[in-house]
Amino acid sequence: MRQIQAYATLALLFVVLVIVAFPFYWMVLSSVTPREALFQPPYKFVRLDFSLGNYRELLFATEFVRYFVNSLIAAVGAIVLNVVAATLAGYGLTRFAFAGKKPFAFGTLFSYMFPPMLMAIPLYILFSALRMRNTYTGLVLAHMAISLPLNIWLMWQYFQIVPQSLEEAAWVSGASRLRALRQVCLPSARPGILSVAIFSFALSWNDFTFAFILQTDRTMFTLPVGLASFVEQTGVHWGMVMAAAVLVSVPTFLLVFFLQRYLLSGLRATG
Amino acid sequence: MVNPRAERRAWVLGTTGPALLFLAVVAYLPIAYAVALSFFKKTAFNPAMQWVGANNYRFILEEPELWNAFGRSVLFTVGSVALQLALGLVAALLLNRAFRGRTVVRSLFVLPYLLPSIVVALVFQWLLSPEYGVVNQVLMQTGLVARPINFFGGLGTAMWSVIGMAGWQYGSFATLLILARLQAINPKLYEAAAVSGAGPLRAFWDVTLPALRTTLLVIALLRGIWMFNKFDSIWLVTHGGPLKHTETLPLYAYRLAFEEFDFGLAAAVCSVMFVVLLVGAVLYFKLFDPTREIEVGR
Repeated sequence: MRQIQAYATLALLFVVLVIVAFPFYWMVLSSVTPREALFQPPYKFVRLDFSLGNYRELLFATEFVRYFVNSLIAAVGAIVLNVVAATLAGYGLTRFAFAGKKPFAFGTLFSYMFPPMLMAIPLYILFSALRMRNTYTGLVLAHMAISLPLNIWLMWQYFQIVPQSLEEAAWVSGASRLRALRQVCLPSARPGILSVAIFSFALSWNDFTFAFILQTDRTMFTLPVGLASFVEQTGVHWGMVMAAAVLVSVPTFLLVFFLQRYLLSGLRATG
Repeated sequence: MVNPRAERRAWVLGTTGPALLFLAVVAYLPIAYAVALSFFKKTAFNPAMQWVGANNYRFILEEPELWNAFGRSVLFTVGSVALQLALGLVAALLLNRAFRGRTVVRSLFVLPYLLPSIVVALVFQWLLSPEYGVVNQVLMQTGLVARPINFFGGLGTAMWSVIGMAGWQYGSFATLLILARLQAINPKLYEAAAVSGAGPLRAFWDVTLPALRTTLLVIALLRGIWMFNKFDSIWLVTHGGPLKHTETLPLYAYRLAFEEFDFGLAAAVCSVMFVVLLVGAVLYFKLFDPTREIEVGR
């Protein structure tokens, strides 16, 4: 009886594992399968005739690199602004007593629930009037809207566990508040700041809705929008599309396998 | 000599000001603008705004399209959240056992949630393609179906396919939170259950499920709010089709704004979405008060 149970569990684990892992496996396998073989069912589930032709085509015959650069610029902008704004806010919210923190906390968490579409349509109109559509500034600001609430929350929580006694010791030895912040507080808050940077990056990198609505000029497409345009055309070259999907996922893979510790702290913060 | 009170005020403003300003300008201002816009007639071709009172609302509330989209949003939300909870629960229970390679497998289970929606959408379109998709190929070879299924393009299958895809992608959010909660359950509780003669099923019912209740509720509520307003995952695989069968509220708002160029009507739909969001948020704050996680009384 016990043995049957163990086997049943194992079988279930195997099924769930296949459901979770197979799409990844198929994505990677298709990306290195030569074009001719990809459109000749039946497919082989294991194959050895790897080719990097799809990647070559993607990098040299499409605008992939351009989209990549656009995505990167938006992400870096979002990281910088988020880190500065969230770190300062976290410090201020934990180091000073003032009225209105509770509403601020509600306001932050509430805005974390705002769906992109609700903000994207009004931003489209506002940015059109301000000539900020198809600019990096506009896109970075839009990406702030989705990542800043979570990041403020993270830093607010994080600075609570950075002991104030360290700063106080620095003041006693004559350091100004600014100097204590820079040399004592920020170094101890580094893991929190890293989480903020990671989240800002991931949310900006993954965003489709804002970029799709605000960046209508092909030269300003980010990766998600650019990739979506690959399958709008007829006769989709799936091998190349899967190569693009693999490359876009690389940061996610790196984050999950090397920086999971930081990610988990943020996921807890989301409830 | 600097006035210490003035200096303190400068610090408070200087530190919290930027965040407050950004939140106000990029998050709250657009929402307020959308709500205001819903009372005006504004099209993409005419920059002038004309006050029309509640006309936009009257128009969309009388149209069956809004209610159809609303119903689809509910179906998509309930279906995909139920699937996420089911998958998340099964995966978390499995991952909570000790086995070799658990860390790697656990990382793998986190991945889907963090992938860009575009990647998930592309991979599922390729897997489920009626012409060359591997899923259809397996179904045909095993004789389960006689003709390939047009998963994202069929009237009867599109919504379920989108729900399945969303369940796959966002189930890992549930997995993570449930797993964290499982690991916090006191093992003594299971020992006590075993001593009193409870089998594994009984122990699950009496120990595991009660411990998970709050977590499951939080996941259902938060994911429900997010799925109700999901645009990218659905748009990328179906564009709301076939024949609007997957056109949920955000896709309806998008169509009004960018295909029919009526921003006033789109803003009215957005405001309806906002009201639903408000209800969900109030429920969430009332039931769980997440602001407990920070100290505000200092």
